[in-house]
Amino acid sequence: MTAATMGTPILSVRDLATSFFSQRGEVQAVRGVSFDVHPGEILGIVGESGSGKSITCMSVLRLLKATGRIKSGSALFDGQDLLALDEADLRDIRGNKIGMIFQDPMTSLNPTLTVGEQVIETILRHRQATRSEARARAIELFELVRIPSAAARLKSYPHEFSGGMRQRVMIAIALACDPKLLIADEPTTALDVTIQRQILGLLRDLQARLGMAVILITHDLGVIAEVTDRIVVMYGGLVMETGPVRDLFARPMHPYTRGLLASVPDLRDDSHKRLTPIPGSPPDMAHPPAGCPFTARCPHAMRQCAAALPPLFGDSHAARCWLHHAEAPRIAGINEVAA
Amino acid sequence: MMTQPLVSVRDLKKHFTMGGPLFAPKPVLRAVDGVDLDIRRGETLGLVGESGCGKSTLARTLIRLYEPTTGSMVFDGQDVAHLSERDLVPFRRRVQMIFQDPYASLNGRMTVRDLIAEPLEIARIGTPESRTAKVHELLARVGLHADHANRFAHEFSGGQRQRIGIARAIALEPDLVICDEPISALDVSVQAQVVNMLEDLQDQLGLTYLFITHDLSMVRHISDRIGVMYLGKIVELASNTDLYARPSHPYTQALLASIPVPDPTATRPADPVRGEIPSAMAVPSGCRFRTRCPMATELCASSEPALRDIGGGHLAACHYAGEAAP
Repeated sequence: MTAATMGTPILSVRDLATSFFSQRGEVQAVRGVSFDVHPGEILGIVGESGSGKSITCMSVLRLLKATGRIKSGSALFDGQDLLALDEADLRDIRGNKIGMIFQDPMTSLNPTLTVGEQVIETILRHRQATRSEARARAIELFELVRIPSAAARLKSYPHEFSGGMRQRVMIAIALACDPKLLIADEPTTALDVTIQRQILGLLRDLQARLGMAVILITHDLGVIAEVTDRIVVMYGGLVMETGPVRDLFARPMHPYTRGLLASVPDLRDDSHKRLTPIPGSPPDMAHPPAGCPFTARCPHAMRQCAAALPPLFGDSHAARCWLHHAEAPRIAGINEVAA
Repeated sequence: MMTQPLVSVRDLKKHFTMGGPLFAPKPVLRAVDGVDLDIRRGETLGLVGESGCGKSTLARTLIRLYEPTTGSMVFDGQDVAHLSERDLVPFRRRVQMIFQDPYASLNGRMTVRDLIAEPLEIARIGTPESRTAKVHELLARVGLHADHANRFAHEFSGGQRQRIGIARAIALEPDLVICDEPISALDVSVQAQVVNMLEDLQDQLGLTYLFITHDLSMVRHISDRIGVMYLGKIVELASNTDLYARPSHPYTQALLASIPVPDPTATRPADPVRGEIPSAMAVPSGCRFRTRCPMATELCASSEPALRDIGGGHLAACHYAGEAAP
């Protein structure tokens, strides 16, 4: 599926900028991010801590902490700008047309209510339904996310569930009102690898069955490769590269993406050869560099990179790197395909 | 390999008695439940398993933060399982630990110099001047600068803090370093820096590592041999090459099949294992994996399989390991 054949996006984010303000000054967490999510696709947003990937989605949902402020941009969802809506209209959309799942299901669930109450509450808030209809729907949702003995488990409290089962409850709540978009922020990071596999399989399965769009935020390249259709790579509050998942893994255009892929060990290679780390550490977003934020760690940095922020070069697969300027020097594997 | 292992653990158990109703038998959590394990001098032994499998309790018992419930723990010829605190002092110098969270494990009110010199002070080694010189040497070893010594831990990034934690761990020139998820809290681009450094330090100082992690890709890269733990026991142990080429316990097979591979064209098996790890307060009879095992039989419910050599030093605790697949 190419961008041209995907039709109207369900979510269209343009030039989003978000900062946090404290006594130490301004931290520019997101510095002008644009991307689209199309109906029925899974978009992965990958980045390391501080890259701005979670803040981007929290901004779109307007769930920032008190010190955070959206400075500019728009987020068009289903014809409405989420960043311009008043709080009441927004509450109508969150948990209804947009479902959300977070990393730690324990902090997102109310420990003093049974999980059944929490699912039923969500349904009754957004839908015209009687209590018994909502309860029947809750059982259906628990079966959908494969919680065994669904009707009985409605009466359990969050602490009576394992981490994996709690995440299933969260997914059930997120799906309660048939959302058009599901935003999942590191949904499997706190889970064990065999449980992660179960939850990722469930998410992919539900997405195909219900046809919703999904944004999956993660730091894990393996998770990204496993479930997404398209990827946005973030670094220093910016989109550094974006493209279809297979293209991006086969031909990463940005030196940062290449560095990330090279720094994880290859499971199929059992020679004890040294890993190739990216030297240094990410920039301090209280004082973001003027040019490309990856300049200080980039093996191919040129004078231009520190001087000016490059635009995104390319179309459906694009990278924010001066090496893709038409007159840049050729570097094998990045802007020159090996013969 | 005829030389004596550095660490030799036999039938090690660490059980915790939990609170329960008055006058009723108290439930027992069998965190470590009969572990046999040798750690060879100079090797990196990886230890993997899911949360609740007992790998961190095993690590904490090995450094005698916990006294074992039963079993023996021989370190360089001496059984340290039940030594008193006083008799443990020489042992404690020779075994050090690197922790997962470099934010929580370093005292934020101490300078880097004092953090790294602290083990030397406790062991009464050197003078304040010689200790400062040693701190500078250690900082250089972990890729930091001498002028970092007067700063506080909170001024550093996660990767740099982990380097400080490592400098502290090697200050006493230990024989064994237990690394408990040392890179899990770090960003992907920084993990490789720390792993390369750990490998360099091992070469330079002749260290032995017990490397505990849930990262099945990294453990293969760093380890010579790998043990797989499930519900308090080692269920499989083999060289890293052998384990990934011929996983012989159904749990290991499920674990390896669950690894998310950073390659969108890779084929992925559907849910390789059902259900979740049972509670260590209610360990199943017989084989402890049988409740999730796709090939469990009646034998598995009635008899617990021993950890046995299925060929070439490859150990597995499964009645059917080493046989052709049914």
